Amino acid sequence: MNKTRLAFWGAALCALAGAAVMLVPQGKVRGFDVDAFGHLPVLEGGRVKPVDTVARNALLMIRSQQSFRHEGRTIGADEWLLDVLFRPEVADEQKAFVINDPQVLGLMHLQQTGDRYYAFKTLRPFVEEIQRQGEQAQQVDPKQRTPFQNAVANLYDRVFLYLRLENTVQLAQTPGLAWELASLGTPEAATRRAALSEAAYFRPFVSSAASTNDAWQSAGEALDAAARGRSSPQLVAWARMSLAYRAGDPASFDRAAAEALAAAGAAQPGLVAQSGHELVFNRAQPFYVGMVVYVLALLAVFVSWLWRPEWLRPAAYGLLVAGAVIHTAGLASRVVLQGRPPVTNLYSSAVFVGWGAVLLGAVLERIYRKGFGTAVAAAAGFASLIVAHHLTGDGDTMEMMRAVLDSNFWLGTHVVTITIGYSGTFLAGALAIAWTVRRHLLRGGGDPATSKAIMGMTYGVVCFALFFSFLGTVLGGIWADQSWGRFWGWDPKENGALLIVLWNAIILHARWGGYVRERGIMAMAILGNVITSLSWFGVNMLGVGLHSYGFMDKAFWALSAFIASQLAIMVFTVLPPRFWEAGAFSRAAKPSSAPAAGK
Amino acid sequence: MPKPSELRSTLWDALTSLKLTIACMAALMVLVVACTLAQVRLGTFGAVDAYMHRWVVWWDVPGSPWSFPIFPGGALVGAVLAVNLFAAQLRRLELAWRKAGLWIVHAGLILLVAGEFVTGLYQVETRMAIQEGASANFVESPRQSELVVVDTTDPASDDVYGVPESLLARAGEIPIPGTPVTLRIHGYYPNAALSMRQASDPPAAATAGVGTSVAVRELPPVSRDEETNAPTALVEPIAGGRSYGTWLVSSLLGAPQGFTHEGRTYQLVVRPRRIYLPYTVTLKKFRHDVYPGTNIPKNFSSLVHLSNPSKGEERDVLIYMNQPLRYEGKAFYQASFGNNDTLSILQVVQNPGWLLPYVSCVLVTLGLLVHFAITLRRSMRRQAATRAAAAAPAAVEAST
Repeated sequence: MNKTRLAFWGAALCALAGAAVMLVPQGKVRGFDVDAFGHLPVLEGGRVKPVDTVARNALLMIRSQQSFRHEGRTIGADEWLLDVLFRPEVADEQKAFVINDPQVLGLMHLQQTGDRYYAFKTLRPFVEEIQRQGEQAQQVDPKQRTPFQNAVANLYDRVFLYLRLENTVQLAQTPGLAWELASLGTPEAATRRAALSEAAYFRPFVSSAASTNDAWQSAGEALDAAARGRSSPQLVAWARMSLAYRAGDPASFDRAAAEALAAAGAAQPGLVAQSGHELVFNRAQPFYVGMVVYVLALLAVFVSWLWRPEWLRPAAYGLLVAGAVIHTAGLASRVVLQGRPPVTNLYSSAVFVGWGAVLLGAVLERIYRKGFGTAVAAAAGFASLIVAHHLTGDGDTMEMMRAVLDSNFWLGTHVVTITIGYSGTFLAGALAIAWTVRRHLLRGGGDPATSKAIMGMTYGVVCFALFFSFLGTVLGGIWADQSWGRFWGWDPKENGALLIVLWNAIILHARWGGYVRERGIMAMAILGNVITSLSWFGVNMLGVGLHSYGFMDKAFWALSAFIASQLAIMVFTVLPPRFWEAGAFSRAAKPSSAPAAGK
Repeated sequence: MPKPSELRSTLWDALTSLKLTIACMAALMVLVVACTLAQVRLGTFGAVDAYMHRWVVWWDVPGSPWSFPIFPGGALVGAVLAVNLFAAQLRRLELAWRKAGLWIVHAGLILLVAGEFVTGLYQVETRMAIQEGASANFVESPRQSELVVVDTTDPASDDVYGVPESLLARAGEIPIPGTPVTLRIHGYYPNAALSMRQASDPPAAATAGVGTSVAVRELPPVSRDEETNAPTALVEPIAGGRSYGTWLVSSLLGAPQGFTHEGRTYQLVVRPRRIYLPYTVTLKKFRHDVYPGTNIPKNFSSLVHLSNPSKGEERDVLIYMNQPLRYEGKAFYQASFGNNDTLSILQVVQNPGWLLPYVSCVLVTLGLLVHFAITLRRSMRRQAATRAAAAAPAAVEAST
């Protein structure tokens, strides 16, 4: 085996082995089999999912993290949810809430400190005030809210979610589910059961009823059924889990959790396997791992330009391929779990854009073998996964599709093609940025052959992007014609797609006509980044139109900063040769020196 | 002074130039951006009307009656682009197999622009709102209103005479065909607000009906998608040389107002403009499904019965998301609902050019595929040739 192959396979297999380590279960926590609890299937947001998903998303919404440190120990989402459900007095002591707004803190008579996290115990005396302020703020149109109103409305939502969780399986101020089950006939029991049904955040009890609407019951509803003499084995098992967890009896808890899982599986076969798959997916965190691998690939490419390229360039490519494999596996798992095409919301569009760019970049690297394909692909993959990571804050990323979007055919064609179009445009922009950076850092602007190769790649990718964005846009028009009777309604999102098509067409025609040369095309490709980011995220900030599936206002500054950075890079791109011929790393101007990279 | 032939060739050069293509596409980008931003202020309909469906974009000087043309409108840019595409195709692209892809692409694009023109000119969007169990044999315009004079004398059927808003705006006298009644228009407001008359208000212009106790305040017309105008008019019905007083009519007044002339009773109502259909649609069942345990809508559907006696058609149709009913040149879409899920609102669109984009899409996709396939093959060949030529020096570089 030669050096290149060895480096490629060595790096790729190391990265994949690292990813596989994530699949190992976390093991027992304080003796309790938390994984078995996380495996239990429940219904939340109209979708069957493992408790683990509910726990992770809830903690993500409340604390913006999936685990946290408390009293010298890391508390995972599942353990946190167990405490919230069964030991609320313990959960109330844990700092689960992140609060950044000084005015909201002031509302609770708190001064802002370095620690942004607060326990519910601290918030409890002000719950009524938070509700009053929050409800008031929520009546204001989201676009007109002040920062304080935004923050207090958000905190109110999170407090509400927390309180619902505490009262989902058993009411927080009562001895627990087992006691509830023992006192079904007492006078206040019916009132308590009604309160439980009202508060329930998820439905843990499944029957063998055919339709999903009737199959799932909240704790209150299941207790009602038990009061009528139809007690479910799952209810009994959950009651025992609650009792054992409170009592600190891991052996009984593990047995009860296994029984609850078995009982759910007995009610509807296939349920246990389904939630098990999602549990593994949650644990693997493929997009997080992919992000790390992409960064490693990027670093390897950078170092390869200065040191040992014969080893590091193939190693970087190996890392990129491993990242792409992990990324693909994650994407495929989502498709299988959700039973839908890969792009269903803003989050998944970011994941998919990155995936498309990585694949394209990997292909370019195969063709041109200069390390630039790897660098650009890894950077694009990393950036889009970071963007996706910041879009997860809204909770479940596999939410159900609203009526008009409930069409796998159109999600699979229009949405996927248009997103590939975004990928292509971004990749062309990234290549152009790489071209610019190279030109300014290397002496003499680097060797002309590589410049020409990057130029060729950019041109090819723009063609690719034009094809997919045009096709996606027209398919979108046809979907619109199918669903609300107009092929083209000049809706902001449609207009954004049209801008991308027009811009790519302008780049190609300008090149064919010979009106722009290398620098011009590169600058235009970078402006493509600006246009794509605007049509991807910017139009959602206008708050008008029919594509309101991903309204967002938080990202405004991030988007502005991105656009400013692209415009700044464009200035460097168009600078004539005399600005870069010297090269950033050479003191004396030696335009005629050797073209080989940074010696 | 250039010769006519020179002038012709200069014009031909300009018309077929690639620069014109690029300029048109750039202008279209500017228009699209402006139109998108304007939607926040004007609503989609208003913005599209101001930027896209016009030949020229006008700038109204604030606080003055003047307006200046500042930019070519969408229609002009589209037309120039289509002509340019067509002309350039004729002149520059030779009829060769290696250009086949581009030929197909440009034919498809011309068709796409043509389709948008057909849509802009001929598309009619209306709505049909039906209560469960009820029938409708007409569609309503969401933006235009009409003043109708209804002869309600016969309890079995009403005779309806409609006066469109455009006629009301022209003022003067309007004879109602088929009746002895002539309407004299005393005032017309495209949009107005009504309130109960206070002592401080000027005397009412109306002399009969509810209008005598109502004050009218004229409002600027709105164009935002979620707002509607309230057209209001002052009319004086005259029949047989006799005046029946001046009446205030408005879309805001729910209850019908009427007068009797020679034993026949006439009512005056302002309502959305209706277009009657030669068939009837009956709503049998409206469904609004949600995902369990949430308020997220899963599906909306209307089960309707279509009855067209002239063609002997009697059948049930299920209209649901992404599945319109296409019938007699109109397409019925599930658009909205109301009244506690018992009222279904269908969007009804008539567009003779609806198929053009489909054809165009197929053509352009095919053309681009063909073209890029040809280009890719050529570039692969060139690449292989360069690699073969560069093999020796590359090996040297790798070993340093």
